[in-house]
Amino acid sequence: MPGKGRRYLMSESKPQKVKIRFPGDLEYIPAVRKFVAELLLVNQFSSKCAYRSEIIIDEICNNAVVYGCRTADSQVEVVCVMHEDRIEFQVKDAGGSETDLKRLRDAVAAEESGVKPILDGRKSAAGLGLEIVRLLSEEVNVEVDDNNLTSIRVIRRREDAGTCGEKKAV
Amino acid sequence: MADIRDIRIECKQSDVCPEVAVVTFEGALDSGSIQKIGHSFDVMLEDNYIYAVADMARVTLVSSAALGELMGCRTRLLERGGDLVLAGLSIGIREKLTAMDANKVFKFFNDVRSAVNAYNWEYHDRSESLNLSFPSKLTFVPPVRQLASRIAKQKGYGNRDSFRIETIVDEICNNAVEHGVEGDENTIELLLTIDRKKIEIKVMNTSDPGKINALKEISKSLFVPHILSDEVKRGRGLALVKMLANDFNIECSDVGTCVHVTKLREE
Repeated sequence: MPGKGRRYLMSESKPQKVKIRFPGDLEYIPAVRKFVAELLLVNQFSSKCAYRSEIIIDEICNNAVVYGCRTADSQVEVVCVMHEDRIEFQVKDAGGSETDLKRLRDAVAAEESGVKPILDGRKSAAGLGLEIVRLLSEEVNVEVDDNNLTSIRVIRRREDAGTCGEKKAV
Repeated sequence: MADIRDIRIECKQSDVCPEVAVVTFEGALDSGSIQKIGHSFDVMLEDNYIYAVADMARVTLVSSAALGELMGCRTRLLERGGDLVLAGLSIGIREKLTAMDANKVFKFFNDVRSAVNAYNWEYHDRSESLNLSFPSKLTFVPPVRQLASRIAKQKGYGNRDSFRIETIVDEICNNAVEHGVEGDENTIELLLTIDRKKIEIKVMNTSDPGKINALKEISKSLFVPHILSDEVKRGRGLALVKMLANDFNIECSDVGTCVHVTKLREE
């Protein structure tokens, strides 16, 4: 079961997994986030859920490109797993500098503890972006391995489990 | 008149591309900073840089006089076969520059990295790749083809080229689903490699043993037009792909099928 103490519906149908790897360039992000939103729509998630997921992907991918892509050929990987009752996103990048990794960990830790992230006089993209992501999702986890490969995993519950598309007026 | 010390300018070599200069501006670019702007570009030209990215992320103001000076600097670079582009503009500055029609003169980029990537794209024919894997189901094909179309447009391909690329991806992916093994555990792999002259599309799937012979017959008919059979009628999608593409290749095996298409940029 994913998450601490959270329960998710056990799904009988297998989750649908889509993986995309794109160049570490901000110019690709609009197309990628629209793609994710459309994936959700064709898999019977509501347009509200699709749009909010698009915001999540936009924020995390922006951080991945800005802070996690340091060479010309760096790439970002996005994995979307669609379950009956939720969607899971995982965004991986090659990892940023030690300073940026620390800021990312601090931002996530600050959010978990309810403490506002300390800003150094200018907007901390990692801090503000993750605030938005956390607001729109049930779980946010950050993992950094020994090679600095950074992975952010987000779980968002399906708001209208059991319904299809927008609710219609009776 | 703003104190000239308000503006800070730093010029350095790009970390990822040695022939590109990154000129970082900080503060207010107004009439008082014109001399300093011009001097920084003099130094840059003495170092033989011809392509420059102006990092505007920390700029608080751009006056029309300063914009004129930047245009003059750009002209000097253009005369040497180079260019000056702007990166990292805040929303407010971008709006003001657009109101001054600066967007018709300068290219705007989200950040320095995007600007340098664009330089490599334009001047070094750099190609970029996008990998995608998705379940072997028809419902996934529309988002996939629209992604391909958006990527092509983003990279500067015209509407017509982008639509043809979308059509190619749609047909190939539909075939990959229909002739491959369907199901949640089976995936289709799509690889897009794009540069400023062409796009290469590669789609790979797991073959369905019951359908592989039909697919082989269809692909044979594409290259030998006089072979007619009922199966050929179902191969019109691939025939369309062959018409739209500049190069087309199918490799069928008992393990999997790989369709490789190249489309040259026409617009």
